[in-house]
Amino acid sequence: MGKKELGVAFLLALRSLQRGSRSSVVLTVIIIAMCFTNMVFLPGLFNGIGEGIITQIVDYEVGNVLVAPKSGEQYVTDLDATLDRINSMPGVARATPHFSKGATLKYRQRVLGVSVKAIKPGDEKYVSPLYSKMVTGSYLGEDDTGEVIIGKPVAGDATIKQEDEFQASLGGVRVGDAITIEYGNGYTKDYRVKGIYSTGWSSTDNNVFVTWSDMELVEGKPLDYAEYITVKAKPGYDEKYIKDTLQQYGVTEYVQTTGDLLKKAMGSVMQSFAIINMVSLLVGIIITTVVLFIVITIKTLNSRRQIGILKAIGVDKEVIMHTYGLQVVIMSLLGIFFGIIITALIGVYLSVNPIVTPEWSATLYLTPLDYLTNSLILFMASVVAGYVPAYQVSREDIQSAMRA
Amino acid sequence: MIEITGLRRTYRMGAVEVKALDGLDLTIEKGEFLGIMGASGSGKTTLLHLLGLLDQPTSGRILIDGLDVSTLTDYEKTMFRLYKLGYVFQDYALVPDLTVLENVSLPAMLRKDRTEEQVTKDSFSILQKIGLCDRKDHLPRELSGGQQQRVSIARAMVNKPDILFADEPCANLDSENSRMVLDLFREINEEMKQTIIMVSHEDWHKEYFHRIVRLKDGKIVSDGLNEKKHAGQGTG
Ligand SMILES: Nc1ncnc2c1ncn2[C@@H]1O[C@H](COP(=O)(O)OP(=O)(O)OP(=O)(O)O)[C@@H](O)[C@H]1O
Ligand SMILES: [Mg+2]
Repeated sequence: MGKKELGVAFLLALRSLQRGSRSSVVLTVIIIAMCFTNMVFLPGLFNGIGEGIITQIVDYEVGNVLVAPKSGEQYVTDLDATLDRINSMPGVARATPHFSKGATLKYRQRVLGVSVKAIKPGDEKYVSPLYSKMVTGSYLGEDDTGEVIIGKPVAGDATIKQEDEFQASLGGVRVGDAITIEYGNGYTKDYRVKGIYSTGWSSTDNNVFVTWSDMELVEGKPLDYAEYITVKAKPGYDEKYIKDTLQQYGVTEYVQTTGDLLKKAMGSVMQSFAIINMVSLLVGIIITTVVLFIVITIKTLNSRRQIGILKAIGVDKEVIMHTYGLQVVIMSLLGIFFGIIITALIGVYLSVNPIVTPEWSATLYLTPLDYLTNSLILFMASVVAGYVPAYQVSREDIQSAMRA
Repeated sequence: MIEITGLRRTYRMGAVEVKALDGLDLTIEKGEFLGIMGASGSGKTTLLHLLGLLDQPTSGRILIDGLDVSTLTDYEKTMFRLYKLGYVFQDYALVPDLTVLENVSLPAMLRKDRTEEQVTKDSFSILQKIGLCDRKDHLPRELSGGQQQRVSIARAMVNKPDILFADEPCANLDSENSRMVLDLFREINEEMKQTIIMVSHEDWHKEYFHRIVRLKDGKIVSDGLNEKKHAGQGTG
């Protein structure tokens, strides 16, 4: 098969698409584009949901590496020394402790049970974007006392009546208002609301935060222990590497990467996603294959005499085969191209208008590799679907083809 | 030169055997304009297809310029048809999606010994010959039957074949267009010394042939020079 033969096959293929039945070409291309979209959309959405959840878990729950008490213990002890040790490790951007205590909030007639979290505001900034999520007021200062920041759903909305509320709140707390916090140990104190935040991550939005110094007052002693420490990695450092170094350098606490935690938490979810992805992939491939097979088979059957004539005037059977095969190649490339455009447009739309639920928000998450593998899979499937009938018709004996 | 000896072609339809060609011996000289005539079903198309390497004889031998064509492989036969033979069919058989120019160029484009410029040059010169240069960008369906058949002749001639085969090329044409096509054949035959083997069952066509072979039930019943024609050629 030389260059000239391929050139002639390409010319015949192109002209047949251009000047043959337009509607059949357009429909075929649309079907392939739709199959492509179907193949990448659901997996992309699931990836988007997964990525969104993972980002929020990293941001608001565990950082890149979570240091938790060793088994049998309630707290990470010897906190200052542990923090110093972790912070001095290569690859660690910052480690920050967390300590929470059950409490009851009181504001006017409202009472609400929440978990009050103590943080070191300065360090927390390196690990969590909470500071950037203030909707009114401002974030906690390092040594603030008597100040609290609260999540938007906790603050509530004064315009909504209590019985109409989706979830219980304080009924419209505003920055500067005073709220009373009564801790589980009986310690009670009035705090000024310094800021109200909204992260979109529901468990954080249902918390309130006070400074570490304030919590020491609650505990009545210096807080040299924490429930857990979250660690942020410097850019370019692998979580696993940090976990290994921490363990190697004598951090005896229970160290887990986000990956470790997600594997436990999301394993079964990911499995269900994988099954749905596989089904949508198979459906896409099968529809594309069947449609192309039918289109090309009809085309070849309708042009049997034509094919006989071409052979008679000295066109080799390889050229005939590629004439029909290349039509499929061209249509499938066009289909995949439009499929990529369609999914990219949906992706752009979703990034501007994410699918939002109270628990998470999601955009379409597709990497160039996803596009590439799906394109290749679909392309291969269509080439097979097109070349099988093309091969068959090209082998037909001249006499029977010409008399068709 | 084509030499045929003991040519037989039998079609087997279940228990029935149809002897489409029943032992033909024939020699066709270079530059001849040969007419094959005979009633419907007498084996004209079968003979043409065998000579044109579109079909295999049941027995017998065909030598083209001394070459026993039965020794050629499938691919070699394809190349032989591309380089040495030209075909004109009753129904024109142009590629409907190609323009006139593309149809005519098609066989030339496949030849390894032709540059792109040569293909263009040859295609234009043959289009000029059939007088359809101004229609080069038209599709076959936009032409009349006579014009389409002239395009089909141009396609057959673009590679300057040794032998041109035509199976009832005028069957779908009125007498005026038939004459146009036959005049074109005569011109090609005379100017280029082109061997032409043409099947026809119109009696008046024979004035164009040098020699007429008549078939009946797969056998040659007469084979004679067209006296008037030859006399004309002799003096012309
Ligand atoms: N594929 C085939 N299978 C069976 N019989 C065939 C086949 N092709 C031709 N025949 C028979 O062979 C004989 C000669 O056929 P052929 O087509 O050569 O005739 P012809 O002289 O060209 O006729 P016409 O003038 O009608 O075109 C006929 O009896 C025909 O029925
Ligand atoms: Mg016939």
